[in-house]
Amino acid sequence: MIRARSIRARSIRARSTRSRSTRARSTEVETAPVGDLGTELDESLATDHPWLVIVWNDPINLMSFVTFVFQKLFGYSKEKATKLMMDVHVKGRAVVASGTRERAELDVYRLHEHGLWATMEQSG
Amino acid sequence: MPRAGPRAVMGFGGPFRRRRDGRYSVDVDPKIRTVLAAVAQQLGPMIEAGDAATTRLFPPAYVGEERAPDEAGYRSLVDGALRNHHHRALDVLIETSSSETLSGEELDAWLSAIGSMRLVLGTRLDVSEDMDPPGPGDPKETEYAVYDLLGMVQAAIIDELASGLPDEGAPDRAL
Repeated sequence: MIRARSIRARSIRARSTRSRSTRARSTEVETAPVGDLGTELDESLATDHPWLVIVWNDPINLMSFVTFVFQKLFGYSKEKATKLMMDVHVKGRAVVASGTRERAELDVYRLHEHGLWATMEQSG
Repeated sequence: MPRAGPRAVMGFGGPFRRRRDGRYSVDVDPKIRTVLAAVAQQLGPMIEAGDAATTRLFPPAYVGEERAPDEAGYRSLVDGALRNHHHRALDVLIETSSSETLSGEELDAWLSAIGSMRLVLGTRLDVSEDMDPPGPGDPKETEYAVYDLLGMVQAAIIDELASGLPDEGAPDRAL
């Protein structure tokens, strides 16, 4: 868990760097030709779509372990964690969390620490 | 994913028990402890050597060619920390494999190390959910028996740790 915290600190630094670069870009937009403006807006809108954290089924991790990890990492009730675990087991994958890109990366990292096959993708 | 296997070999009443002082008693056969330490000792060097089966311990975060730069960024950010995490868990298991009691952190490390060992062995054995265990004389028989044993120990640890989590959830526990 100590490691996860250090990653969070780095994610947060990355986020502040990113918002600085966004500000820099929006300044450029003011002087950019009209043709580029639409592209810039599309990009900034796209960043508003939340990122989904996805866990994939695998033939090795025990069902009780996967449920336990969802309870422990996300504070989910046993009922919700069990339902998500069964979704992974039956459907092959399930969205277990969503949020900002930095938050999703941290969640994926914590799931990777626990040996789960987790990936992230942007919704929409 | 598989259900937990039979726990009969581990004895009655759960081999891992939380005590009043917060530590966990460990009632595991010395032969099983020897196997745990031996497999853990083999896994560290395999990770360092980049053995193909150990890549399962470092899954991708981003999928698809168009996300390759993001994946490279994620890898460069976390690979060192993830590698340390795996090594540290294995080291704790090796150091405490004979202990009669474990702290909560040490038991977490056992769970993590045993999970890694199962992932690597299971990848090497190419296990699937509906596979039959290798029969007598099969060259994979011994390795599969170890894989199975690790699953039983892992299930016993989860039994005890999960019983300490509130059924109704605890959102404040999440980061």
